[in-house]
Amino acid sequence: MNEVLFSNEVIVYLLAESILFVLLLVALVVSLKVMFKWDFEKFTPYQFALERQAYLVSTIILLVFAMKFLLIVYFIFSIDALSLIVPGAMCAAGVITANEYGSFLLILKLIILLFLTLWLYVHFYDMHTKNHRWFKEKSWLFSFIFLLILLEFGLDFAYFSDINIHQPVSCCSALFGQLEGANPLPFGLNITFLLVLYYLLYALVMLSIKTKQTVLYIVSNILFIYIAYYAVVYFFGTYVYQLPTHKCPFCMFQVEYLYVGYLLWGSLFLGTYMGLSNAITTLWLKQSHDASQKSVLYLLSFFVLACTAYVAVYYIKNGVLL
Amino acid sequence: MRGHVMRGDVMISNEMIQIENLNRTFHHAGNEVPVLKEINLDIQEGACVILKGVSGSGKTTLLSLIAGLDKPSSGKVLIEGEPISKLPDLFASELRAKKIGMIFQHFNLFDHLNVSENVTIPLIPSGLTMKEIEQKVDVALNLANISHKKETEASRLSGGEKQRTAIARALVAGPNIILCDEPTANLDRDNSLLFIEILKDLHALGKTIVIATHDPLFDTLSFESTIVPMFDGRIV
Repeated sequence: MNEVLFSNEVIVYLLAESILFVLLLVALVVSLKVMFKWDFEKFTPYQFALERQAYLVSTIILLVFAMKFLLIVYFIFSIDALSLIVPGAMCAAGVITANEYGSFLLILKLIILLFLTLWLYVHFYDMHTKNHRWFKEKSWLFSFIFLLILLEFGLDFAYFSDINIHQPVSCCSALFGQLEGANPLPFGLNITFLLVLYYLLYALVMLSIKTKQTVLYIVSNILFIYIAYYAVVYFFGTYVYQLPTHKCPFCMFQVEYLYVGYLLWGSLFLGTYMGLSNAITTLWLKQSHDASQKSVLYLLSFFVLACTAYVAVYYIKNGVLL
Repeated sequence: MRGHVMRGDVMISNEMIQIENLNRTFHHAGNEVPVLKEINLDIQEGACVILKGVSGSGKTTLLSLIAGLDKPSSGKVLIEGEPISKLPDLFASELRAKKIGMIFQHFNLFDHLNVSENVTIPLIPSGLTMKEIEQKVDVALNLANISHKKETEASRLSGGEKQRTAIARALVAGPNIILCDEPTANLDRDNSLLFIEILKDLHALGKTIVIATHDPLFDTLSFESTIVPMFDGRIV
């Protein structure tokens, strides 16, 4: 049996995911029954029983979704810890690419978190109507998320059981290092244009929040998170590591860098998820939440300021740029 | 005595509280225990209704359903036409905060807070300024005849004083409906009579009052009231 499955972190992670999956499975079965029989206008014993069950299901889903947000942090922590037993890996980057499931699993987890955030918004709006106006939309969305989580659950086991600790993997410097002549940046950009685009897109996101241009916001925020990823890996990250050749999105999750990766990536993804969810519900349900848009503004601004501060502090200390 | 006993359904127009075909069943050890059975009761604005019955007759459960603290198994509870039995918690709490004041058998005061602070609590989420809150608290304390003890810690009050503090707390948000659950069960006769005098004042102010009790003192009230006898989960 694969030794990875016996590491403490993986046991805890898979056990937690399994418990949450069982809870969600129960919630799905009840949710489907409630969804098809739901008629809020009725005062019958059956409808009251459905309302009680719906309340229970929502509580379960809320609990599980809250745990899922914590679990992705623990997932990163776990694969980073595995770098100690997977030969060649210096951080989570090597472990996540140890087989063909890893990268897909990570992307799927990030997509699931976006939909979870969207569900939380729909749930919030539903709970703020007297007749549970968005109950069916919320239930359909949960059913869709469950399918994604089912896929994620299978991939979790496939990924961890397929990591071969006798086969060396590439470290982050090999994965993200610049091969001679090759440009890893998107659209053929160089670093200067990447940074110009990064700050311009940030400004566009802020402008679209201020002017409440929903479609513009969605487009600019998706572009921003895409460009921000490259900007962090290929520019700002080198200031976090204080080494121009060290390009990695994962090493900053380690204690040597004060776990700053959780803060940087956390603020970027949380801000983006909240903003996109609010924008989607604005278009879909014609509901928006101004207070949460302020949070988006603060989170993304914090992310941009923190990245910029790393460069500024390095320049002030050393008088040169990397 | 102007109170009178009514059997079966009470049908009065201009209803503050309407209850239709209300049932509440609890599940215990795999068994269904019906606590309320087909309750129909309409309570007019400004009326005083006394739910009388022995322990286990369903009085407290009925009060909880009227207050929106519990959901029925079937049937309707309407407060000024609003179905509190169907409202999500957020809206049920809002409605309760604005329209319903509750007085409990065991007073449910915070012992470490003084009288004034206890009465202030329901107004904390109201968004009122401190000055407005103080004014409302003073009015409620005067109505309940407890203003002379406003700085006294609740743990140092007598039973009657605690009950008057609870009355002030129930009144402070200016609700139209006052629900009382066995309000005199922990009071001596003098304090019980004093409580009834305060109820009389509230009735004169046009408040709708519903009292769940088995205290015989409520059989002979000096103001208009309706006794609704309950037995085994039904109005009889």
